[in-house]
Amino acid sequence: MATMLLNKVGAQQMADEHRWVVIHPLDDAPEQKVDMSALGPMEMTTSVRISLLSLRAYLIVMLLLVFYRVFCQAGFFGLHAS
Amino acid sequence: MIDQAPNRILQVADESPATVPVQVQGTVVKSKWLHSLLTFLVVFGPGLIVMVADNDAGAVSTYSQAGAQYGTHLLWVVLLLLPVTYFIQEMVVRLGIATGQGHAAMIYQRFGKWWGLFSLVDLELVNFLTLVTEFAAIDLALNKMGVNPLVGVPLAAVALILITLSGSYRRWERTVVFLCLLDLAWFYIAFAMKPALGPALRNAFVPSIPQSGITSDLTFLVIAVVGTTVAPWQLFFQQSCIADKKLRFSDVRWARLDTFVGACITVTVAGCMMLAGNASHMHGFNFTDPAQMAVDIGTFAGPVMRTLILMMMINAAVLGTTAISLSSAWAYGEVRGWPHSLQLPFSKAKGFYIVYTLCVAAAAGLVLIPRAPLQLIILGVQVLAGVMLPSAIIFLQLLLNDKELLGSYANKPWNNFVNWTIIIVLFGLSLVLAAQVAAPNLFPTGH
Repeated sequence: MATMLLNKVGAQQMADEHRWVVIHPLDDAPEQKVDMSALGPMEMTTSVRISLLSLRAYLIVMLLLVFYRVFCQAGFFGLHAS
Repeated sequence: MIDQAPNRILQVADESPATVPVQVQGTVVKSKWLHSLLTFLVVFGPGLIVMVADNDAGAVSTYSQAGAQYGTHLLWVVLLLLPVTYFIQEMVVRLGIATGQGHAAMIYQRFGKWWGLFSLVDLELVNFLTLVTEFAAIDLALNKMGVNPLVGVPLAAVALILITLSGSYRRWERTVVFLCLLDLAWFYIAFAMKPALGPALRNAFVPSIPQSGITSDLTFLVIAVVGTTVAPWQLFFQQSCIADKKLRFSDVRWARLDTFVGACITVTVAGCMMLAGNASHMHGFNFTDPAQMAVDIGTFAGPVMRTLILMMMINAAVLGTTAISLSSAWAYGEVRGWPHSLQLPFSKAKGFYIVYTLCVAAAAGLVLIPRAPLQLIILGVQVLAGVMLPSAIIFLQLLLNDKELLGSYANKPWNNFVNWTIIIVLFGLSLVLAAQVAAPNLFPTGH
């Protein structure tokens, strides 16, 4: 099967000539993405920070509550929860 | 039409000034329509897999129980979850394509180590417990098929490990997409049950409450249906999968379509599971678990139907296991900075493959322990997933409003309106769940 080398402009020209190129993402040239290392941590307002802290507290309390209930059901504390 | 040789295979050299030309391979076609179709097919995969894998063993159990207890009355809840699950996963698509990184890495980098660690521990814990439920379902189904679980469960675990170890993302994806398409057998199962289509369609499009009213059982089941349709691991899985597949900016609309097709399939298959549960109830059987439901259905629909339902149950568990284990392995690899790609052979991504293998092996091993508290684990998983989900989506929402990160891919006002509505509803359900966990007698039992 014959192959040919083209640059991106050549591929674009093929599209202009009513021929299109299908390239699998894994076979394509790497694409420039957002440079995360240059961005650093997100700047958060005080209200967002407080909301996230509340969320953290809620999750910790809920995790403890769920485990307590599950252990109760398992009879770990010598009683079965209703 | 596809162009014949000599131009069929094309290599394109990308000549960026700072690097050597990169050769890429593509197929030349002469029709724009065919170009669109083929581009969709090469992008297709992550969206379908994340959605169909979401109908895992727990989902089979939850949906068929909903059908057995409330007939087709809860079909509207499932239909309502179609836009919910699509909008949430669509955000993940944009995030994954714009950054080329997984969700865990993103939380670490944008919210800091503490939040990153918190999210990771939550994810790994719930994922592991969910994996145990997947293998518990395999164990149950094998038992009903007359296969010794001591042989069948380790075999399933080994097969699950082998499909990821090929060092080829494409091979893994093709295998898993094939398993996803097997899930379509639920359509045959549902129609073989000869459901009353008129009432089913009415219940799907017109919300109604079962005659027993709002009870504790109904509340738990609705929360379980929501929790099983929209799960935290899905966010991590699809973003990492998109990053691993290296989807490009030009693929966004096809990745959205992939996700939408997957969402439609998963919701209609969920409806089919409810119809199967309803059929067993209509024949006078009480629901205990989906494997027993298959046996019950076999008494009036024949042994082939019984085996088919059991096989579909195993398929659901296998799909759930590979997706959930991968979400754990990708997330851990991203945070540790290890190589973490299905494209890499074992020798080049040892940590990533070892985490995957450990997840699968430990969950399979736990199920085989005699008298392991599987029912308690299943209960814990449902509750934990329901509690964790809203917070996971809040991170996603904050990231999607990060214009510095996403630019034109950030949320538009209408996206935010839809997403905050979803978050408020999910938080409401999570609080109801919290109240029920704290005070189990809050709602009437309905007995």
